[in-house]
Amino acid sequence: MMTISWKTRLYIWFRLLLLQASWNFERLQGIGFFYSLLPGLRKLYKDEKLLDVSRKYVGYFNTHVYLAPMVAGAVLKLEEDQASGTADPALEVDDFKEMVAAPYAAIGDALFWGGLRPLAAGITLFFAIKGILWAPLIFILIYNLVPTWFRTIFFVRGYRQGMASVEFIQKHRLPDWAIHTKETAIVILGGLSAFMVFSHLNQQQLPSWLGLLTLVPMVMLGVVARKGLSTLLLVFITVTSIFFIGLFWADMVYLIAS
Amino acid sequence: MAISLAFGALISLICGLDRVAILQIMISRPIVAAPLTALALGEPLIGLQIGVMVEFLWLARLPVGAAVPPDDTQVAIASSVLAIVLGRTLNVSGIELLLLCLLIAIPLGKVGQYFDHYARQYNVRLIKQVDLALDRGSLMGAEFQHLRGLTSFSLASIGTYAIVVLGGLLIVPFLWPLLQQSLSHSSAWIQLALPLVGIAVILGTINVSRAITLFCASFCMSFLLMWLV
Amino acid sequence: MSLVLTRIDNRLIHGQVLEAWVPFVRADCIVVANDSIAGNPLKKMMMQASVPSRMRVEIGTVAESVALLKSSRLHRCRVLLLFGTTSDAVRAYRGGLAYDQLNLGNLHAEKGKARLSCTLFLNPADMDDLELLDQAGIKITSRCIPADGERSWRKLIPALRGEI
Repeated sequence: MMTISWKTRLYIWFRLLLLQASWNFERLQGIGFFYSLLPGLRKLYKDEKLLDVSRKYVGYFNTHVYLAPMVAGAVLKLEEDQASGTADPALEVDDFKEMVAAPYAAIGDALFWGGLRPLAAGITLFFAIKGILWAPLIFILIYNLVPTWFRTIFFVRGYRQGMASVEFIQKHRLPDWAIHTKETAIVILGGLSAFMVFSHLNQQQLPSWLGLLTLVPMVMLGVVARKGLSTLLLVFITVTSIFFIGLFWADMVYLIAS
Repeated sequence: MAISLAFGALISLICGLDRVAILQIMISRPIVAAPLTALALGEPLIGLQIGVMVEFLWLARLPVGAAVPPDDTQVAIASSVLAIVLGRTLNVSGIELLLLCLLIAIPLGKVGQYFDHYARQYNVRLIKQVDLALDRGSLMGAEFQHLRGLTSFSLASIGTYAIVVLGGLLIVPFLWPLLQQSLSHSSAWIQLALPLVGIAVILGTINVSRAITLFCASFCMSFLLMWLV
Repeated sequence: MSLVLTRIDNRLIHGQVLEAWVPFVRADCIVVANDSIAGNPLKKMMMQASVPSRMRVEIGTVAESVALLKSSRLHRCRVLLLFGTTSDAVRAYRGGLAYDQLNLGNLHAEKGKARLSCTLFLNPADMDDLELLDQAGIKITSRCIPADGERSWRKLIPALRGEI
């Protein structure tokens, strides 16, 4: 029975931090995945066999960076079984990789990029607006909590459970959690925008009820953004209109005063 | 000035690699990268202000699969460097110069997306090298090719940073005397508007069915509460 | 039923589809027409697990999916239809499914394929399939995510012909 020592697994885990160093349009994370697993493969296979297995691994592969350790863990387990001849013949390692890659990518994208990132940014903004210089550190801490958990615990779990590691994903309905995270992020951003507008109006000594009108341009911008207009264009339009309104306003005030 | 620019380049490299190539601990987000740069140059508050304005602009553009989002990291870093360096040379302080630097950096930062594209396209060549290395029986060679990919991502980051900073150094001192006065009428409003535009884009493109309703409810509720207090 | 997007993507359901296209076209049902996924319960379950539960997912063979889309069972749904290959798209068309636009998302590189764009690699058979659909009046465009520009596949061909 061949097994991969914890030292090798730790080494593989560190290598997974470099997963996307050679990201390219043809094989995406393929080479990176091979690079990460290589220390483990070296322990299981020798010479010609090792090269054959390597050729298989450098092929097309792509999943979410934070979930890749879980795939790597499970793949290591499966390779171990393969090498010691106790593998389940129903499922090849390749098939497993292909089967989980896209669903894990979808789950990770929704949960981390779509949900957690705006949420952490929203929370951090509270501190940043207050002028607290530690705000970036708070962002890093809040954001990295969950990804680090996924990267470490699930790497271990993937190795321990092999194929069965997919059950966690199926059981816990992570895509629904992603939606909840996004909803929370939106509520936080809503409150935050209100605060920014409110304090700005106070500073400008304008009546605060005016702030409710901010919703009109914001919803309009949201709707046109949905239509596919680029942020760059929207920034340009917004800034130039504010700029010219500002100029015009100053002239008006000047005229009335004189 | 040269030292400041070099410091900026170093941070641009580290944060730029965090975007795609390594780690992904999100030191590449503008809210972290800009204050980090500004801290290295001795004026962290400027970085924080820029970070807040840039963070939300492209937050809705997710790096999903092979899609390449705009390079907000380099926009944030380069505009922080520009604002601090030019603030010292022109001997001005205040939000206006900061805004001008940022508004110049945002369109220039578009090159970042192309560079990122080129880097990922260039890395396709590594595949052939990896296959050749394996045919030769050299696993070390194959490993090395993977690490070579870091060069292209580094070059893309530094290249974007250099273009934005150089462009800014050329354009901003020229525009500053012309716009300084006029910008002062609207600077506070623009500073407020930039994060709000970003948030609006998130509302429009996020995969939540009732995003706008939720947002408006939360906005009004908070607003009215603050008004009551 | 309205078919809001028909897309060819070898990765089928993944981040680009769920995070970018679904909100853009406001789809509430995803139909995956793929024989290999439909024939493997584990793969099918995995794919279903990657979609939020408020969204309807139908995974079937190409023939089953065409039958489903032609029936009235998806009445009032805004459907996003995914194919894994160009030949599946042709089979669906021949099976009598009417669609007037086709989005090319990802078709990954393999030996003997030429590069059409960053994410699209086609072999001569794929070209013939697309040609056939194009002749049938289907508007074929290449667009990875909504924020990218939409490009007609015809405009991309000159670069391709040289490589095959």
